[in-house]
Amino acid sequence: MSSISSPSVRGAQAAPGQGIGLYLAIGCLVAVLGFALPFVGLPKNLLALLTSASISAILATAVGFLVRQAGLSSFGHAAFYGGAAYAIALLVKYTSLPAEVVVLAAPLLIVGLGVVVSLILLRTNGIAFSMLSLAMAQAVYELVMKWRDLANGEDGLRIRFAREIFGLKLSFFQKADTMFLVTWAVLVVVIAILVLVSRSNFGTLTIAIKNNEERARFLGYRTLWPRVVILALSALIAALGGTLFALYNGYVTPSLLHWTLSGEALIIAIIGGTRSVWAPAVGAFVFVILRDVAGNYTTHWQSIVGLVLIAVVLTLPNGIGGALTAFTNRFGGRQNG
Amino acid sequence: MADGYMLEARGLTRRYAGFTALNNVSFALREGEIRGLIGSNGAGKSTCMDVLTGRGKNPIGTVRLGGEDISKLSQRERRAKGLSRSFQKTSIFPDLTIREQVRLAARNAELDNSEEVISELALSSIADRLASDVSYGDQRRVDLALALVGRPKLLLLDEPAAGLTVEESLSMARMLRDLSERWKLTVMLVEHDMEVIFAICDRLTVLHLGEVLTEGDPESVRSNPEVIRAYLGSSFA
Repeated sequence: MSSISSPSVRGAQAAPGQGIGLYLAIGCLVAVLGFALPFVGLPKNLLALLTSASISAILATAVGFLVRQAGLSSFGHAAFYGGAAYAIALLVKYTSLPAEVVVLAAPLLIVGLGVVVSLILLRTNGIAFSMLSLAMAQAVYELVMKWRDLANGEDGLRIRFAREIFGLKLSFFQKADTMFLVTWAVLVVVIAILVLVSRSNFGTLTIAIKNNEERARFLGYRTLWPRVVILALSALIAALGGTLFALYNGYVTPSLLHWTLSGEALIIAIIGGTRSVWAPAVGAFVFVILRDVAGNYTTHWQSIVGLVLIAVVLTLPNGIGGALTAFTNRFGGRQNG
Repeated sequence: MADGYMLEARGLTRRYAGFTALNNVSFALREGEIRGLIGSNGAGKSTCMDVLTGRGKNPIGTVRLGGEDISKLSQRERRAKGLSRSFQKTSIFPDLTIREQVRLAARNAELDNSEEVISELALSSIADRLASDVSYGDQRRVDLALALVGRPKLLLLDEPAAGLTVEESLSMARMLRDLSERWKLTVMLVEHDMEVIFAICDRLTVLHLGEVLTEGDPESVRSNPEVIRAYLGSSFA
């Protein structure tokens, strides 16, 4: 397991049954405020930025959840994210399936592949897992790049959706002021579900397996399948992000499959922190906005992002989410929140 | 249960790349017995525990639990049959609270006595704290709690008093003796602390260079010249 992949997941979180109300209240408030954003007169380019940030947040949440629950740092989640986007593009191009079926089938298809792949990847841990996941994603990237007849290589594919999807005009999904509501809703639901999973008996078991697989096995548990389920769930969420990207942009390119996108998602998760389910999403909004602001001043915005990453790792070892949790605990008067 | 034995081990052998760590070791434990497994470093004690629990590859020999041959079963399956163990190094779940992990251990046991175990091991006051946040002595008790949940038929303890103060060690020894009598636990104990061994064990098996040197009640082992020469030294005679 690499050094970033084994965070203590409860130290900055509520012990079971304690302090949930405060976090629930804050979560609900943030969710409601998010839904209000398109109606308060924000500029369209800012809403577009927030829509992109929401999609990045979904991908980062998937990557962070895998770190949190399984201690695995994936450098291959672009395969699930870009894979879902390409699955939509190819299904639209080569089949006559209704757009609704395509949009629902693409992430499920990717999860099916994810389960198969995970049975191979999860024979390993730590660096070996990271490298294998990277190799898997790069193989998919190369396939799309080289098989030009299938996916048009580096030029990518325009997705010719039907005019209506789920009874809504296509423009609903391709305008920032309306699409933001969709991406924000998906993000909120994803985080809510993952919080429930992480606090369930199954979530407890997966953390036990992450901490001490042999002891978990000796307590009578199978240790492979819970990890497969966590990876599949993480893959599904990444695929949902890719699906939203495809809907919003109507265009896919091989960069969606490149390992740098996986690395970016991991960086975002580190900036946000992986001790809490929601923290990578916070990291995504900070990252995307920072990237946009820095991009206004220099074409070398990566340098600024790099400096921020160094600063966060050095000063906030549990990420922005960890700092927010510590602040909330102090504000709420609890020591071990 | 054949002949009243809870555990029968016959011809246990383990070799590593030409080195024989355990050579044809046999012993049997009666129900409710506390057996000490002692010997110098490298004698094969932990290897013996590993073979009994199905840890590692290519063991030779037969292990019967309550008369049933469990030699071919996995660690997980042996646990389900009632064989439980603790490890030489503290083996707990640092990111879970004590209560969470004891409950987790209980979920696969026929009997959920997690709260009873927490109470018996005096963990109630810290049960909702993360295991990583409690003292080493408390972590050793958490380790023991994970092994005790479900009232196993046979409990293998690998140096449960390692790193504890004299007072903590003797307290743990008394607690083990007490639980063994009340729960009719059969216990096999690897321990270097002879105060603990002589305080609670009914019988001792002495290993030396991977083989059984002798076996008997604590007094006869304490006075055995071969054991004194190979392991105990004159101070314990």
